[in-house]
Amino acid sequence: MSVEVRPVVREITQERIDAYADASGDHNPIHVDPAFARATPFGGPIAHGMLVLALIGEMMRGRFGDAWSRSGKLKVRFKAPTRPGDTVTASAALAKEAGGVAEYAVQCATQSGEVVIDGRASVTVAG
Amino acid sequence: MTSPARTSITAFPRGHEFSPATFTLTAAEVAAYLDAVGDENDYGDTVPPLAAAALGLEALQGEIALPEGSLHTGQEVEHARTLQVGERLTMRGRVAQRSERQGYVICVIEFEIVADAGLDRTGEAGVAVRARSTIVAPAGVAPADVAPGGGA
Repeated sequence: MSVEVRPVVREITQERIDAYADASGDHNPIHVDPAFARATPFGGPIAHGMLVLALIGEMMRGRFGDAWSRSGKLKVRFKAPTRPGDTVTASAALAKEAGGVAEYAVQCATQSGEVVIDGRASVTVAG
Repeated sequence: MTSPARTSITAFPRGHEFSPATFTLTAAEVAAYLDAVGDENDYGDTVPPLAAAALGLEALQGEIALPEGSLHTGQEVEHARTLQVGERLTMRGRVAQRSERQGYVICVIEFEIVADAGLDRTGEAGVAVRARSTIVAPAGVAPADVAPGGGA
């Protein structure tokens, strides 16, 4: 089967961060309180890591459907913050396929090319 | 969900087990999650696995407080089976690793989401999602909202 995965591209706005805070219950002020966040080393709000990671989940679900939901695995590092206004591209490159399992190197990078998340994703594609 | 007093994540020893929390993800909650992240995939009446992990983490937030300057630095998620909207779920979490380095506490929270066999619409019991979250938190900084006795 084809194992190419189509990237997902999305702007991370403060409105999206606020909506995610409401949906997840994570209202940490570093995400939702600009005045608080400006006084931190980040100098402003940053997106929840799990919000940005969701782009990888969306990308893999879009390619593998229910197989992703019942057999997917993710292991990632949050390498850098994503800020409101960043446009993030989630992408995947096939690393290996063996035993009916496809493993990808995955990442999320901003418009400047900074990698904010990287890691591995695997899914059972046969059997 | 139960709401025990919140304690700084830095104060939990390795091996600490958090109180199990039971919750149900409704269609409205899943829709709000998908709208927030912008995911337009068709999940039918199933729960996106990362939504289960993210919303399940909320169950632990009633027990864990994060000092200012804490960072979520790593995440692992393993999907063991598809979750259905409306299933009754139990979140079990524990401190799998804890170490200190250069004034920071590195804490790995391991948790699993288990479908309640009695209300499981598919008839499959057992673990649906396994996850590990790595949090780095400054030692010696008490969160602003911890209960007395909490904090590092």
